[in-house]
Amino acid sequence: MNIIDVAVKDLRRVFRSVFALIMMFGAPLLIAGLLYFAFGGLASGSGSFTLARTRVIIANLDQISPSASSFKAGDMLIKFLQNEDLTDILELTMAPDEVSARSAVDRQQADVALIIPANFTQAALTPDQNAAVLLYQDPTLTIGPGIVKDLVNHFMDGFSGAKIAAEVTHAAAQASGSRPDLSLSAWASQQYATYLESSSHAAALHNTSPSGSTEQTASGLAMIGPIMAGMMIFFVFFMGANGAESIIREHEEGTLSRLFTTPASAITILGGKFVGVFVTLVIQTTVLLAASALIFHISWGEPLSVGLATFGLIVAATGFGVMLMSFIKSTRQTGPILGGVLTLTGMVGGLITNGIPNIPAIMDKIALTMPQGWAMHTWKLTLAGSNAGAIILPVMVLLILGALFFTVGLMLFRRRFI
Amino acid sequence: MTQKALQVRNLQKCFDAFTAVRKVDFEVQQGEIFSLLGPNGAGKSTTISMLSCLLEPSGGEAYVMGHSVTKEAQAVKRAIGVVPQDIALYGDLSARENLSFWGKMYGLRGNALAKRVDEVLEIIRLTERQKDRVDKFSGGMKRRVNIGVALMHKPAVIIMDEPTVGIDPQSRRHILDNIKELNSQGMTVLYTTHYMEEAQELSDHIAIMDQGEIIACGTHTELVRMVGELDRIELTINVDSENVIADWQATAGVHRVSAEDGHLTILAEDSNLILPHLFESATQAKVRITSVDIQEPNLEAVFLHLTGKALRE
Repeated sequence: MNIIDVAVKDLRRVFRSVFALIMMFGAPLLIAGLLYFAFGGLASGSGSFTLARTRVIIANLDQISPSASSFKAGDMLIKFLQNEDLTDILELTMAPDEVSARSAVDRQQADVALIIPANFTQAALTPDQNAAVLLYQDPTLTIGPGIVKDLVNHFMDGFSGAKIAAEVTHAAAQASGSRPDLSLSAWASQQYATYLESSSHAAALHNTSPSGSTEQTASGLAMIGPIMAGMMIFFVFFMGANGAESIIREHEEGTLSRLFTTPASAITILGGKFVGVFVTLVIQTTVLLAASALIFHISWGEPLSVGLATFGLIVAATGFGVMLMSFIKSTRQTGPILGGVLTLTGMVGGLITNGIPNIPAIMDKIALTMPQGWAMHTWKLTLAGSNAGAIILPVMVLLILGALFFTVGLMLFRRRFI
Repeated sequence: MTQKALQVRNLQKCFDAFTAVRKVDFEVQQGEIFSLLGPNGAGKSTTISMLSCLLEPSGGEAYVMGHSVTKEAQAVKRAIGVVPQDIALYGDLSARENLSFWGKMYGLRGNALAKRVDEVLEIIRLTERQKDRVDKFSGGMKRRVNIGVALMHKPAVIIMDEPTVGIDPQSRRHILDNIKELNSQGMTVLYTTHYMEEAQELSDHIAIMDQGEIIACGTHTELVRMVGELDRIELTINVDSENVIADWQATAGVHRVSAEDGHLTILAEDSNLILPHLFESATQAKVRITSVDIQEPNLEAVFLHLTGKALRE
């Protein structure tokens, strides 16, 4: 019964400490949230990022070729840019002339002015003629004008390709002594225009998040899960050590000696303190799992797997904390221990870097040299939807490590206090 | 025949080569206040730690209410309430929560626990502040809660290790009155202090400790009788002068001279006869006597008589 008394007393003290509450709940949620919004780019929840529409003003000076009245290259370019796939990123308006278009950019009424030259169609149809589409942009902008430039290049490359094909055919005919067909270039351009009109992938522009594949983003917030798991593991280990530190603190405050003057045995007293640490971590983990599921919409996985992963994490964190604290002499040493050792082992264990894509595979192996690495491995599997059978091995490793650490810590504490 | 509350036989504690307690012997009758008086480092707290089962004796044996501290620790712990020298409370818990927790550690539960907490809060006069966190209390109030914790299970013997250190006179008075009140209700008190006045006021029997040994034991009257009818003269001088002190030491009728930072304690047979010589000697050595105080024989004089040094040293 005294085990429960000691544990309840410790829990009461922990949950009255603002510092402990911040480290238990505030810090992991806050840091995970900051990392998520800083690097995840997933705030919208749809997996795509938002890009401001680029205002494009077009002055179409293209004069229609009398020889190809049905083909208008300038109109084709405008139609290409008006493709419905591009309406999310481009906002098109027309200007009567080049001066008006440039003036609109100068007055910041448009981001880009596109000047289609008068000989645009003629150049598309005639082998020896060239035309240049002029792009006049707001110098403070990069992404929007860059997209417009790429789209225009894409359009122009098609015409260039058609012209080159026609010219090669023309040259080959001349070389073989045949009479060259001067209308071949116009025919090729018209064929390309027809292809462009009928093509459904004319404007193949997709914007995706940095996390990679569409599949990942569609499954929802692929990055935040590992980030949150990393933070949760780090702060659960922190609270495990912080809880075990209360033995040292009570020793310094004289309450541990006073406890030893009561009829309760030393094993009961230390046992009560360990139960207090364990229950604290159970509450911390449960709250973090629930809060992060609500705030970040994280799906932690199958309930049984989550339960096993939680149990493994808490046993490992309690054991590691008890062992860590059993080495220190006074609470003055706990700062470097908590800050230094836990940060170092946490980093090696991959808690900080787990949200970063394309980490070398060797890092995953190095991470498994630390208990935090095994905890992270377990939670990654759980997040991926693994069933209990798939995570039982890492959970067993966590339980064995926890028991080992706990035994070492208990032996050192017993030698010191009992 | 009444069972003795405490029996200590040849109790000894060594820390490597250092012997903190040397073959200490004493007995405490039930219902009495017994004080261990001595300067810091005399071995009082080590003796108490062995009686509280916190330290294992290196030799000898001690019994609390007939139970051996080495063989029946659980029974001893149930019989004693310990008031440590330093405040040993949970500052982030209220006075009531502290008392309640410590009561539970002695097996109290439910209504009995709640009732006892109320009683103890009355005894230490903190009923009004029972819900306040202990770390918001003054030093004196913390001391009272510190004592209250030891009273929770109504122990047969309460062991108090310098419970009045560092508190204001009013709180000190309150604690001493509390101890007398508890004793009048039949509680045996083992009290350690380096304040001679406290031992003198409270105790039925006093053991004077120095360097791990009990150098004298008895009632206040018996102890004072050891120094006979000697007067104790307290003097302060403006400069330390070894010549003057040596001269005073050699003066007929002077038994002991103890000096510390210009403050001298002299045991002499008749202060009226001695004082003129002391002044004359000081004047010749150009040393100025800045204050003189003549006191009746007391425990301080006993300590000086037995050890050659003042209790405060």
